[in-house]
Amino acid sequence: MSEQVSQLLDSLKAKAERGELLYIGENVVRVDSLEKVLGSPVYTADLLPKGTVYAKLFHSSVPHGRIKEMELGAARSHPGVLGVLTSKDIPGLNESSAVLPDRQLFADPVVRSTGDILGAVVAETMSGAADASAKVRVEYSRLPAIFDPLEALRQDALKIHEKGNIARQMRIRKGDVEEGFAKSDLVLEKTYRTQFQDAVPLEPEVGFAIPEDGGVRIVGSMQSPHHTQAAVAKVLRLPPEKVRVIQAVTGGAFGPKSDETPYDVCSTAALAAVKFRRPVYCGMDREDSMVMHTKRHPFVISHKTGVSKEGMLLADESKIVGDTGAYASLGVFVIVRATFHTVGAYEVPNVKADSYLVYTNNTYSGSLRGFGGPQSIFAIESQMEELARKLGMDPLEFRLRNMLVPGKKNATSAVMDASCGLSQCVEKVVTSSGYREKAPRYRNQTGDVRRGLGIALLMHGNSLGPEGNDYGAVRIQVLSDGTVSVGSGLTEYGTGAISGLMQVASSVLGVPLSRFKLERPDTSKHRESGPTVASRVVVIGGMASKIAAEKLRSRLIPVAAQMLRADPKDVAIADGLAFDRRDPSVRVKWDDIVAEAYRVGLSLSEDGFFIAPAAPWDQEVGQGTPYVQYTWGALVVEVEVDMATGYYRVMGAHAAYDVGKAVNPGGVLGQIYGGTVQGLGYAMMEELVHKDGAVLNPNLGDYYIPTSMDIPAEFKAYIVEVPGPLGPFGAKIIAEPPIVLPGPAVRNAVLNATGVSVDDLPVTSEKVLMGMKPESAARTS
Amino acid sequence: MTKRTITLNVNGTERPVQVDSPDRLIDVLRDQLSLKSVKEGCSTGDCGICAILVDGKLVNCCLMLAAQCDGRRVTTLEGLLEDPTMKRMQGSFVANNAAQCGFCTPAMLMASWDLARHSPEPSSEEIKIAISGILCRCTGYYQIIDSVHEGCKGKGR
Amino acid sequence: MSALELYSPTDLNDALRFMEHGDRSVAVIASGTDLLPRMRKRQVAPSVLLDISSLTEDLRYIRRSDGTVRLGALTTVADLLESPMFDDRLSMVREAASLFGAPQVRNVATVGGNVCSASSSEDLIPVFLALEAEAKLVSAQGARSVPLKDFIVGKRETALRPSEILTEVSFIVPRGHNWTAYEKLGRRNMLIIAMVNEALCLILEDDLRTIRSARLALNRVSGKIPALAARTNAFLQGKKVSDGTIAEAQKVLASELSLTSDFRGSGAYRTELALTYLKRLMERCCLKAGGTS
Repeated sequence: MSEQVSQLLDSLKAKAERGELLYIGENVVRVDSLEKVLGSPVYTADLLPKGTVYAKLFHSSVPHGRIKEMELGAARSHPGVLGVLTSKDIPGLNESSAVLPDRQLFADPVVRSTGDILGAVVAETMSGAADASAKVRVEYSRLPAIFDPLEALRQDALKIHEKGNIARQMRIRKGDVEEGFAKSDLVLEKTYRTQFQDAVPLEPEVGFAIPEDGGVRIVGSMQSPHHTQAAVAKVLRLPPEKVRVIQAVTGGAFGPKSDETPYDVCSTAALAAVKFRRPVYCGMDREDSMVMHTKRHPFVISHKTGVSKEGMLLADESKIVGDTGAYASLGVFVIVRATFHTVGAYEVPNVKADSYLVYTNNTYSGSLRGFGGPQSIFAIESQMEELARKLGMDPLEFRLRNMLVPGKKNATSAVMDASCGLSQCVEKVVTSSGYREKAPRYRNQTGDVRRGLGIALLMHGNSLGPEGNDYGAVRIQVLSDGTVSVGSGLTEYGTGAISGLMQVASSVLGVPLSRFKLERPDTSKHRESGPTVASRVVVIGGMASKIAAEKLRSRLIPVAAQMLRADPKDVAIADGLAFDRRDPSVRVKWDDIVAEAYRVGLSLSEDGFFIAPAAPWDQEVGQGTPYVQYTWGALVVEVEVDMATGYYRVMGAHAAYDVGKAVNPGGVLGQIYGGTVQGLGYAMMEELVHKDGAVLNPNLGDYYIPTSMDIPAEFKAYIVEVPGPLGPFGAKIIAEPPIVLPGPAVRNAVLNATGVSVDDLPVTSEKVLMGMKPESAARTS
Repeated sequence: MTKRTITLNVNGTERPVQVDSPDRLIDVLRDQLSLKSVKEGCSTGDCGICAILVDGKLVNCCLMLAAQCDGRRVTTLEGLLEDPTMKRMQGSFVANNAAQCGFCTPAMLMASWDLARHSPEPSSEEIKIAISGILCRCTGYYQIIDSVHEGCKGKGR
Repeated sequence: MSALELYSPTDLNDALRFMEHGDRSVAVIASGTDLLPRMRKRQVAPSVLLDISSLTEDLRYIRRSDGTVRLGALTTVADLLESPMFDDRLSMVREAASLFGAPQVRNVATVGGNVCSASSSEDLIPVFLALEAEAKLVSAQGARSVPLKDFIVGKRETALRPSEILTEVSFIVPRGHNWTAYEKLGRRNMLIIAMVNEALCLILEDDLRTIRSARLALNRVSGKIPALAARTNAFLQGKKVSDGTIAEAQKVLASELSLTSDFRGSGAYRTELALTYLKRLMERCCLKAGGTS
């Protein structure tokens, strides 16, 4: 037997003995890495055909009003302009909304925010379109506007939408909070606030459309090609088959590219393409994007929490208010996740929560990584810290007493099972950060520079859960040359999840990832697979991929068996070679098996479809099992604060996440590093500022995301693997969770260093310093 | 608006191009010369995603008017694809998972390549400074820093 | 921007001839890092740009002669960072340059561009004010020198006449026991518009305790205008360095500052920072100049 095969067999045996899987848990080169380091022209704006013209969107300049008149003459007669599109140019429905039908493509006649799109100028050049759009004059009759969600909640408040200002309400009723409070030795009431965050995908929202075949072909930067297809078809009044949407390589998404903005951009391009019979590129620049795409919902969350003097949580009552701005978008689901996570990773026997998704005249909010989790967990983890301090108890100890472990029940009364790896995560970060040695040392500092540790724990329900059917479809085709081509409506935009999904197939088939090819998601080729959101690709898509791969394998094994003259149950495939386990000297190459399969006319294309088990819960009381499994995590950060200025640095971050099974460990670490840094931005410096409904800082010079100079000098990330029931090989989601914990961990670290409780994000140096000077009359801005 | 012809030395080749006064260097490189590795992320010089080398210095080409670049030497990623240092750097980026969505990758590679030729074994601090003007939203920078460390080593391998 | 014209002069005289008519719709452009974003946001709309970026032979230099440092207007921030001229007592120039923007910006942003913007977001201005720099302004008619503190007349307003180009920023190297220091704070560590940036050049008498001259300058003193803290500097002159003096000086500074709030930070916070930095800058300079705090 050859050296190579014997080594393979040994390693296969060894893996089988250890219960390991081929290729899973290995760092593999992602299939799409090469084109990125070569700078290949694969993004939307790189693919424009000759003769493309340009559409520039223009938006409202008032936060609430009715359009009286739009003066388009000057814009129309600007050199190079082909025309100006408004609501009058829409043949189908003037609608562009993700869930509730509350939003138009081109606002007419009512505008509800300065982000409302009014139309688009189409011109030969982008700069021409931009210059012309500055010449559009709109006259409004202004309406009073509301910018505070608490004001919008009031009975007598001005109605922003006909049905009122509450877009969705949720409740949790678990046990009896009044009884719980009665038994409590300490009851603490506090309110926390979070800010608008912008996702800042480095590539803004762009798309182009080419008129063809009585319809359009669209190429764009997006998370959900099928949803985009449906939206464009409605606007153009075309059957969906006439609207072909292809997702190009996408330069980051983080949520807003699964909401209305790709519909806006692609519908506009399509409208113009059909009207002017030219390819049309509709591209947002950074300012357009930051004004017009969805942001993270700011929340106001009030907790009233009761504890015993031994430090056991007895009752929690929360009021959760999310500002969804002018339109609900995916907010209808954000509020659900926020509500279910209201007491985070802890068991509280009595929970009452009332949550409201509220309209205001700010620009609208929607999906953003974490999806309600960052806001809720910020509130509960801050509350936990405050309670610990009031009890005179170590914050870690307090958390350990109350955290969820197998057997305990969360806020929806779901019982945690053996797949709960929270305690392992906590142990890892506590050890790594030296928490137990350092925390007491940091308790009584007096110097000008002080350090503090902050800890936060995570429960993160996996996938769409209560938001709807969670399904995915993946098609795997083996081509005649042996290439394995994978296609799906699920999209890659940087997370590496699609590569992970392909790794699953690679493992099942026994063929290395280097033989795989990723097809660009294309509505004309791939089944609708739901939106690529909620970090569900590896879990749901991975299962669909596994199913498709298993079907293919079951077709190919008999072929290989015949070629090897072996019993099919003795045939194994590894590294692209099939062999008889009983006599490994006899082997046959994957390519030859495929060629033979083709010769005998076997079909080598399989669809895998997977739908997650139903997640039943009672809407009235918010009880049940809305999530089939959970990702767990813990984060400790250490800060160093300059007491005279309030300036602080995060010196170290120690993070651990229970991901069930790390399909690609390097990829998982990438999500942990990237998500944590994005979370640090949310914690420390990011704030999209509205004033009277206008965005003051829609550019990257005034809206700050972390640079390489802002990251912690020390970052230790740990992967914990406690297999879950849902995903392939026990995998749980990882893409969103790491963004959640930095907010409260930093806030708590600063509190421990300085004694200052900052209850509204971001934790800026000003809030820290001014918090130390209670006599300072100035109101921090 | 007067068109003028300027000559850019692009990736080693003299390229005459016709430009209008307001044309930015990024527009000329992407649209006229099809150098698509040069990306645009913010249009205000704040993200560094358009970073390339002009006369050997790392600059944001979204903030340079093409008409100001007559006679200058422009280097983009396309011009370094055969360069051994760049190839090692690219291999390192791939092996260390430094490219997630990939949109900042060309700029990061340009900055890293520029650093590698000045500093054969840079410290983490030096690497962070070298890329401090390029925003990445996906990776959190750590795997990029690891990649640059590795990409700078093993010269002549 | 579509109606824009750009003129590239062959040399400095050609540029000056072009400016002779004093046309206010002409803007001088070097790197464009300040001007171009403002044009894109439609905050300014010149119809003609005079591109002086290639006049490096005439305008890009760092020279020292007879105790005066002269910086050509096209000296880049990277040039300042790399020059050995700013080690030692003039280290605040290097400090400010190292915290300025990011590598790509440092490679192209110019001394002249910084100074002519007269903006509180331009980091080098307080440094040059603290060095009591002068601006050399040249037109086809001749040249004049204006102290920087008189050159900046308002928020983004200078004393530059429509026919003039700023060609050089110069300062006399302080003599005797002196040191310089710089502090800056923004919402993150790099690539920011600072809330406060503050520079100090402190000159002590031979007794190493008495202040011969204190030149404290900030990006904002009153409103959004970079300036010297004249009253504070006047107070400090002739005083002996001590915690008491510093505390008194902070009171003077507090009354001298009139800082506005914006979304980056409140006026109250910026004032707190400015006072803290005064103390820090004094301590750092004293330590280095051989004095004691």
